[in-house]
Amino acid sequence: MISEAFIPAVTSLGAVALTLGVIIHFVSQKFHVEEDPMVTIINGILPGVNCGACGYPSCNQFAEVLVETKDSSMSCPVGGADLATKLGDTLGIAMAEPKPQIAVLLCQGSNGVARQTAEYLGIQDCWAATQAYVGPKVCKYSCVGLGSCIAYCDFGAMKLENGLVVIDKDLCTGCEACISACPTGVLTMQPKKTERYFIACNSHDKGAAAKKACDAACIACQKCVKVCPEEAIKIDNFLAVIDQEKCNACGKCIEVCPTKVNCIRLEHDLKAVKQKQAS
Amino acid sequence: MKTFTIGGIHPPENKLTEDKAIEVMPVPAELCISLNQHLGKPAKPLVKMGAEVKKGQLIGAADGFISANVHASTSGKVKAVKPAPHPGGQYAMSIFITPDGNDEWLEGCNTAPIDWKALSKEEIISRIKDAGIVGMGGAGFPTNVKLSPPPGKNIDHIILNGAECEPFLTADHRLMLESSEEVIAGLEIISSLFDGKAKASIGIESNKPDAIDALRKLGQAKGIDVVPLKTKYPQGAEKQLINAVTGRTIEPGELPFDKGCLVQNIGTAVAIYEAVCKNKPLIERVVTVSGMEITERKNILARVGTTFNDIVSYCGNMTAQANQVISGGPMMGKAVFSFDAPVTKTTSGLLFINNKGLEKSKERTCIRCGKCVDVCPQGLGPWLLANVAQLRDFDEIQLLGLANCTECGSCTFVCPSKRELVHWIKYAKALVNNRQKRKTA
Repeated sequence: MISEAFIPAVTSLGAVALTLGVIIHFVSQKFHVEEDPMVTIINGILPGVNCGACGYPSCNQFAEVLVETKDSSMSCPVGGADLATKLGDTLGIAMAEPKPQIAVLLCQGSNGVARQTAEYLGIQDCWAATQAYVGPKVCKYSCVGLGSCIAYCDFGAMKLENGLVVIDKDLCTGCEACISACPTGVLTMQPKKTERYFIACNSHDKGAAAKKACDAACIACQKCVKVCPEEAIKIDNFLAVIDQEKCNACGKCIEVCPTKVNCIRLEHDLKAVKQKQAS
Repeated sequence: MKTFTIGGIHPPENKLTEDKAIEVMPVPAELCISLNQHLGKPAKPLVKMGAEVKKGQLIGAADGFISANVHASTSGKVKAVKPAPHPGGQYAMSIFITPDGNDEWLEGCNTAPIDWKALSKEEIISRIKDAGIVGMGGAGFPTNVKLSPPPGKNIDHIILNGAECEPFLTADHRLMLESSEEVIAGLEIISSLFDGKAKASIGIESNKPDAIDALRKLGQAKGIDVVPLKTKYPQGAEKQLINAVTGRTIEPGELPFDKGCLVQNIGTAVAIYEAVCKNKPLIERVVTVSGMEITERKNILARVGTTFNDIVSYCGNMTAQANQVISGGPMMGKAVFSFDAPVTKTTSGLLFINNKGLEKSKERTCIRCGKCVDVCPQGLGPWLLANVAQLRDFDEIQLLGLANCTECGSCTFVCPSKRELVHWIKYAKALVNNRQKRKTA
């Protein structure tokens, strides 16, 4: 009979399963981890891209720490103000207003504007190029223009155009992932404003050398420093820097800038402009 | 015949200038003396615009333990102190000198040779340090630091590196023939620093039989052993040379003195002799100007600070086909990005070539042929290192022995898929460094 062959197999395996089940039951009771259901809820609200902009390696960790400490100063730069209110409502605390920021390229040395050195034919990557020599452009502070940062952007906000990286202001969430991916340090973070004036140059070369290398270079002529009514502009090591806190976007600096291609740039945050018009 | 055990390649030797005697190149109209001619921190400039300097005068002072002095290579006026292109591919602070034409030595420099045996060890080391001598093979490590190993390390074998395994280069070869006595004297000075107890050898590749004969004749009486080595690249790399001459292996993470060895370049030995006996600082070196695309191929004795522009016009200009200029040898040298870059203490050659394969993205996928693994003298897997570098997994790549790669270029040379293996490895090293810098910052 076939059933006779079954009986020892079923009984022995059944006994093993039963014993293991009992062991697992006791172990799970003994080592039970109390998980706050709030963490799961918060985790659901967060963007879930694990970009690391908040300073924690993942969204889940951010949620855990937030639920545990209820620290109202913690913020998710990607989610912005909307997310902050949502988080505050869920947790019943008043979250601090997050300061949205945006990645900015401090260079306008596109093809034709910046002087070129020897042609680069090696691996098409900024780090590889700067290992071989100063890079395709004479200015060593410039955007190398091979787009190493693009691969680091989780939000598809960067693209290469005419030898420069272009950042989509609406897609950029300010997660800072691109900053460490740049070998020349030409990418920086700036606060998101309706109208933002900044010096789009990173060259610390002296005026003459900077001008020789690029038409859009800040030559540290001091004209914008003198004309600024808010005293927001300072020259730091042959490069003008606009203090974003002090600048009220009057635009006087742009008028006096003598460089061939203006090194001072005005950028609008289109979303903010629209909001302003609507209200 | 002896050689190193793992890997190695046989590139075409192309020693086109081995019969050309060293020509003294006249002082050019302007010198650009870089303050960064060595490994470590750049020297601090000591002169300002408008200052008068004499030949051999100290114009850049060593800044820290691993750094080296820089001297004026002719007499004249300082025109400017500003950044200038550097053959290493970067900009470096440089001192521009307009020569006055007198080429006048600073008093006390370049004296009649004295007997070095009268000097104490400390005096010899301090003379080498003051003269700003660095390893002239390419790396530019300050020689005085290398000659003072930490206490407890017993040096029992001193090797002079006459391998000159890079194709085209013949600077050391000519120096061994034309300054044989100085080479031997330099080696004797080095051995005297270790009480003469260490065995002294000179490793020379077999493609230079005349140099082997010349040095053997002089060295025999002084107990110096000239070791002929089978011609194979990279025989002149420090670790490979030690392995070839002594049979010892420098394990990853070890330095030559851990195995009782000390290696110095031929040019460095001559510079040591001149510094110790004549009080002459390192202000000139032999440079091989070669390659298919230059009219006159020469070995020249060029002042430190001579720009590549001056060398090109001295050697009768490039041909129209030249599309790449390399400072150093073709295997490890760097492509020159500006002819305003000057000769430094480590510039062994300047090559003008027509690289027919020079085009964008010629890299193809790895076909797993294993040639790079066969030839890697450090026993690494270059294909894997490059793959992991492309994936940007910088934890894994360190476990694969990234730091052990000496960037000799053998793998890139043999790769049938034309992969830029060494360039990927350099890329990974740069990003690993960047990550560590950010971690500590």
